[in-house]
This record gives sequence, structure tokens and C-alpha cells, in this order.
Amino acid sequence: MSSRKSRLAAAIMVAGALTVTTACSSGHSNDSAKSGASKAPIATTSISVGTADDSKGPAAPEPGAKKGGTVNMIDRDDFSHLDPAMVYMNYNAEASLLFTRQLTGYKTAADGSQKLVGDLATDTGTTTDGGKTWKFTLKDGVKWQDGAAITSADVKYSIERTYASFIKGGPTYIQQWISGDDYRGAYAGPYDGKGLDAITTPDEKTVVIQFKDVHTDANFTLAMTGYGIVPKAHDTKEEYDKKPFSSGPYQITEHVNDRSLDLERNPNWDPATDPIRNAYPDKWHMTFGVQAQQSTERFIADNGDDKTAFSFHNQVHPTYIDKVKADEKLKPRTLEGLTPYVDYYYINNTRIKDQKIREALVKAFPHQQTRQLQGGTSYGDYATSYMSPTVLGYESYDPFDVLKKPQGDTEAAKKLLTEANAVGQPIVYAFNNTPLQQKVTEAIRTNLEAAGFKFVPKPLDSKTYYDAIQLVNNEFDLYWGGWGADWPTGYTSLQPVWDGRVIQDGGQNYAHVNDPEINAAMDAAVKIADPAAQGKAWAAIDKKLQDKAYSIPDVYQRSLSLYGSGLGGVKFDTLAGLQSPLNIYVK
Amino acid sequence: MTTPTGATTDGDTPGSTSDLPDNASADAPADPGFRGLSPGKLMWRRFLRDRTGVVSACVVLFFVLVAVLAPVISMLYGNDAETHYGQNDPTLLTDSGLPVAPNGGMSGDFWFGLEPGLGRDVMMQLVYGIRTSLIIAFATSLLTTVIGVALGIAAGYLGGKADFFIGRVIDVLMSFPSQIFLIATMPVVTSLLVPSGQKVPTWLPFVAVTIVLSLLGWMGLARILRGTALALREREFIEAAKVTGASPMRIIFKEILPNLWTPILVQATLALPAFVTAEAGLSYLGVGVSEPVPDWGRMIAGAADYLRTDVTYLLFPGIAMVIFVLAFNLLGDSVRDAFDPKANR
Repeated sequence: MSSRKSRLAAAIMVAGALTVTTACSSGHSNDSAKSGASKAPIATTSISVGTADDSKGPAAPEPGAKKGGTVNMIDRDDFSHLDPAMVYMNYNAEASLLFTRQLTGYKTAADGSQKLVGDLATDTGTTTDGGKTWKFTLKDGVKWQDGAAITSADVKYSIERTYASFIKGGPTYIQQWISGDDYRGAYAGPYDGKGLDAITTPDEKTVVIQFKDVHTDANFTLAMTGYGIVPKAHDTKEEYDKKPFSSGPYQITEHVNDRSLDLERNPNWDPATDPIRNAYPDKWHMTFGVQAQQSTERFIADNGDDKTAFSFHNQVHPTYIDKVKADEKLKPRTLEGLTPYVDYYYINNTRIKDQKIREALVKAFPHQQTRQLQGGTSYGDYATSYMSPTVLGYESYDPFDVLKKPQGDTEAAKKLLTEANAVGQPIVYAFNNTPLQQKVTEAIRTNLEAAGFKFVPKPLDSKTYYDAIQLVNNEFDLYWGGWGADWPTGYTSLQPVWDGRVIQDGGQNYAHVNDPEINAAMDAAVKIADPAAQGKAWAAIDKKLQDKAYSIPDVYQRSLSLYGSGLGGVKFDTLAGLQSPLNIYVK
Repeated sequence: MTTPTGATTDGDTPGSTSDLPDNASADAPADPGFRGLSPGKLMWRRFLRDRTGVVSACVVLFFVLVAVLAPVISMLYGNDAETHYGQNDPTLLTDSGLPVAPNGGMSGDFWFGLEPGLGRDVMMQLVYGIRTSLIIAFATSLLTTVIGVALGIAAGYLGGKADFFIGRVIDVLMSFPSQIFLIATMPVVTSLLVPSGQKVPTWLPFVAVTIVLSLLGWMGLARILRGTALALREREFIEAAKVTGASPMRIIFKEILPNLWTPILVQATLALPAFVTAEAGLSYLGVGVSEPVPDWGRMIAGAADYLRTDVTYLLFPGIAMVIFVLAFNLLGDSVRDAFDPKANR
């Protein structure tokens, strides 16, 4: 993403692919930077499913918080989408929390652990047949910004309209689970008057969703902003992306493209119905076009309006990391945490079929050197698994001793390469042509050449980087990419990227791994009802991927960011890897 | 970093001492014994009296020597430009890649400090960076001079349609916003020269930058020469040559060209520093010579990020660049004054 500095950053989400698009291709070039203390990966138990009691409003109050005031937000990019159905990027979704509600959502406890609770629904949904049919009941008193009640028909309509042809870029899980992979062929959206039979509304308050197959974590899926609700009466189709109708605590007053977004209170939002959102400030003023270097300087200087400013996405610029960490005065307003993103260096398995050669690549890879170039421990923790530690079921496993030798074991790699009779094997490494990535390439070149590979660097333009590596018949052997789970279970963490049946141009299986054993194991894992047991199954798949050295997991990305001294309640949202707006108040 | 244009329109250069009275005194003492000093010797004498010129010539010579002797310097100094010292030795750089030692990691081992990130030796990067700059600048100056001379004289001497055609080409090229054009053409030139799927050879960025810079760098010289050739064409000695049946080739090369050496040399010396900055500018903007070839422009661009955290890293390439370009420019001015003391007076 940098990219970066370039970065590219999380902004490059390549939409449109059939199955799962990119929840989270995160940026490289950028600003990924974080914690000095490189804490142990957080425990996998931090995510749980809440009860109906947990789903009751109001949200747990923030100690010392008071109402009122205006909170400023500074960031690099404007939100690319406001229509919930098109929101997939974490950055857009985080802002949408302020004006869009879903059936379910995540509630963060004071200790940072997160719980899935009912947002519009009274609980996290019930299923009587193991996950094929899901029933949700809406709370009393949930309203649109014009005061009209939110009904089950609205929920049904919101899912129906995600089938419409103008909805590009949002998640497609629910649609495919209801109607199959070619879901647009099965149903064209609600605009010609036809409804979707799989979703029924027995009464004003009840929605029943019927899937073709078992999906035990569908209630997590429905927490995505992409399944946020849209009112039929105010649906302006394409225009809705510019000004959505609010169901949350704030409504949009003004949006100037690429410049600013202003929010004010929605008088019809009732805190008693909302277990997630603490709406302390009266207004939000968000401005865009601020690069990470600028925002870092502004937060350090802490002048004027910047005192009450935070930033969803801009992190501490890598060159400032040491300075920020060394400054005791900045400590109280520094946020650090593990994001859901895992960085991989994908090995193109169509071109490199010999497992020994792949193992040699894994062994030789200079994790320490590349990480140091991008911010050190603040950039991330060394990764060995394909699943992030933020995902339910994560287990640490290191078959190639990467953690013992993060600087790369070129000797061992050379031995493997000799055994495979492939010394001098050319490795075409495609990279985003930014100054930072050129240096990263140098570090990789040094190690791979020492291990006996012939290194061929291929600089690609930042704008077309993803397009180029997403071609199935691309001519590269090794390329960087990131992935973050859409919700914290193994399914969304692994299936979109490692399922061999989703290999296609523009798809997310960058490594072109098509292992029947893994495909079958994935199908089996989805059907396990118990979340913990399912987590174990996914961890087993993860280990299999590692054993075969299908790619090189690089780091679990961390985040290090600052905010103004005049704000309280700024928290780090580990599910999105961003600063959360939900508990922010003006001191 | 504009590409060089007519330098004869430059104003007076402070520090140039040659002047009309000087010339008179230069010639006067020579009167008794050395009555007929050649123009070359006269020019050399004038040049030696120009202190700024001599000093900058020494500086330029120093830079050229450093570039030529880079491998020797590397051997004596003990470090090279490619090794990632900071990454191989964890005590040199912090976890996020900044030099641990103060002043950008300056020490007995690394005189100018370490590059943040990769931890290469800044001094050797600079030394090898001079090579990059000089090779490209010299090659470009040579190429633009050849093109400029050929087309300029041809246009001036041939006149008519040839003059019209070349003149319009010059007009068109000069109306291009050079910086934007350079940025836009660099990737195109690179992709034309390398088949996809193959490694970009080290020499390629050099050739690509040289071609791109040359493409937009020859017009100034060509215009000046066209003007001069136009005037010479009407002079008696040319007419005499024509009457005796000399071919146009012979007239251009034997009759006109020898009269144009002064503007050509002056233009070329002034163009050189301009190309150095233009090359650095391209690299600064990320379209010039890429890693791992050391390059000043790229160093300065990278160092700008560390302005607040490691200013030493910006200091060395910055100062080196200023001295280098200043010396070349002053030398160019002195050469002009020495060759052509009456210009612009």
C-alpha cells in the first residue's frame, strides 16, 4: 500500500471479483507502523458472541466522558463509498458506524475484547438447523433519521438491493450463500418489483434468511457495513452513494468530495436501542488530503483544531516512529495495536511447482531487513501463519524456523536449492515502484542471490500493481500482497485467498494454490457448528498451507497512531485496524 | 532544472575578472618577444587570471577524479556502496531503521554516516553517485552538442526549406514543458528498450535518461549556431569557397565549423551542470536511475523524509550537489569569459 508511500494503502481495493473481493488489501507504501514493545500476539479468545442481554442499549459509558463539542478527523483519502452496499474497505466501514446500522455489530469492552451483539436485532440471530436458516428479530424503537420505524421489510430490501447491477465493490457473501455464485443471474434486484423469496418477513419485526448451505458464522457476516440498512422510500440508487439516509446517531450535513464531510446529530436515534455507539460529540468535521507525514507533524504539534482531531487511518509516518516512541509527552495519546492484516509475499504456484524451491524461498526471505525498512516492530510482528492472531482459532506454528532466523537462512536455502537441482532458478519479483519498495527489493535481492537464486526485479506502476499481479497468467514468481479477514473467523481469513476453486483473473488467490486436500478441508470446516472447533479446523488448514510452503507469510501488521490532546475515549479497533470513533469525546 | 538554453543571454558573472583593459594589458607585455600569441594561448592566459575559474576548475577536477577513482577509494576506505552494513549489523540501526549513533551514524568506520533503512555507507553512495551523474551528464552533453551542431549549422547554411523545417521542429520541442515531458517519456523509453519478463540491465537507465534528456536538450545550441551560420554564410570567404566549387559538406565542415568552436565549447560547458541537475531532478521525482545504482537525486529525495529525524543524511548529498553544480556553472562562465571576452559587454 504505500507504498508506498505511496501507498496505495488500504485504498487499493480491487473490487468486482466474483467471489470474495478484497476486504482488506492493505497498503504497503504507507504508514504501517506500531508498538515499540512488540507484544505477544493477542489471545484468540478476545472475540466472542454476545447474548440478548449484551445486545441491549445503551452502550457502556466511557469513564469521564461528556457530551457536546466538535471532533475533527484528518486523513489522507475521502471515503470512496457511503452507500453501505458498496462499502468494503475498513476505512469506509469505520466511518459508516456513525450513520449506518446493521443487524449485528461489535461491542468493545473496556479491556479491548470484542463481542458480537445484536445492533438492530435483539440478539445475534438464531438458527434451528445448524446455520442454514437464520432468524433475526428487530428491536423496538429503532428509527430512520426522519422518525419512521425501521422494519423487517427494510432489512429485506437492503439485502435485495445488493443484487442490483450498480452495486459494485461491496461484499458478496450473503448474496452467494442465498443464490449461488452467479447470484446476479438468479435475481436482478428489487427495482423491477420482484422480491427475493429466500428472505421472508413473517411480521414487522422478524426477518428470516434462508441459505442454500450451512453457514454457521452468517451473523458475523451480517455485521459488515456492506449489509447495513437502506430505506426503500429514500433509496436513490446510484445517488445514494453520495448521501445515505441515516439510521445511526449522526446524519450527513455536507460532503465536499475529497475535501470534507460534516456530520450532525440524528435526533431520531435512540441510545437505548444501541449497545455499540456512544455518541458524545455534537458534530464531526472530517477533512481529507492530509498525508501521513503531515498528520504526524500536526498531531505532535497539537495546535488549535488539531487538539480535538483524530485520524481513522493515517498512522505515524515510518520516519517518525523513533521520535514518537521516545517522546513521553506523546505517550498518553498514542494508540498501538495489531490489525487484522497479514502481509504475504505470494509465491506464484503456477510457475514454481517444486516444493523444495518454495521452501528455499521461505527460508531465505529477509523478514527482519524488510521490516526494518518499513518501520521495524511497529510495522508488524513476524508472521509464520496465514491466519492472523486476531482470528478465532489462531495457533502459532513455525515449521521453517522463521522466528529463530528472521534475517533469513540463506545457507539452508542454498542447500534446499541444491537438492532440488535448481541453483540459478530465476525469481521474477514484481514490486510497486516506490522509493521505499525499491529499497525493500534491494534487501530481498541480497538474500535471494546469496541463496543461489537469479533475482529479476520487475517494477510495476502503483496504480496498476494489483491489476498486474491479479492476472492468473502473470509472468512473476513472487509478489507482495496483504489480506485481512472480513470478520474474525477462519473462513474469511483463508477461504478467499487459498481456495483453489476461486482462482481467476482479478481474484484474490494470488498464489494460485489449488490443493484438493485443502479445498476439501475448507468445505468441511465451514460446516462445523461450534466456533471453537471450527477455529481448530481452520488452524489445521493453516498448518497444511505452511507445511507445503505455498507462500511466505511476512508480518502481522501493527498500527501506531496519534490523536489530539483534547480528545478522550479514542480506542483502537482491532477488527478494522483503525482508530474507532465510537467512544470519542471532547475533554 | 531546465534544459540549457542560450547561455549567451546570461548576465554578467560576478567574479569573472577578464575585461577589456585586462586584455589590453595581456597583449601589451607580450609585445617584444611573443608577438603572435595564438587565440588558444590567449584564452588560456585569460582563464588562468580568473581566480574563480581556476578554483572551480580544481573542484571539478576533484569530482572527476573521485568518480574515476571510486573503486580505489572504496578499497582504501574499506567500505563499498552496495553492502547493507546497517542491516547486517544490528547495532548500527534502530529497530525502525534510523542510525543509532548521533549525526546520522557518523563514525570512524562510516565517515559520512549511514543511510537510514538499508544502512549503506553514505560516503560511498556519494562517491559512486558522482559516477552516475557525470556519465549521464557527459554523455548527454556530447549527444546534444552533436545533434545541435549538425542541425544548427545545416539549418543556418542550407536555409530555405531545411531551415524552415528544422526551425519549426525546434519551436515545437521548445514549447514542450520539459519537466512534464521528461517524466512522461521516461517509462515509455524504458519499456521500449526492455522486453517484458527480462531483467532490466544496469546500463539501461543510463541510456534511457541520456536519450530523454538529449531529446529536449539540443535546441538551444542549434538555435545559436543557426544564427551564427546564417551570418557567416553571407561572408566573403564562404562566397569565395562557393565560387571555387567547394561542396556544401566541405564548406560546412572546413569553413563554417572552425568559426563556431567558441559558442559550441561554451554552450557544452554550461550545459553539463544543467544536465547534472536535470538528471538528479528526474531521479528525485522517481523516474531516473533506480536502485541499486547510487544516485544523488534519489538520495536527496529519500533524505527529505528524514528531515526531522536524521538531517545529516540530507546534508551530505545536499552540500555535495550544491558544490558540484556551482563549480561547474562557474567554470562554464569562466570558460565563456576566457573564450569570448567581448560577449555581453
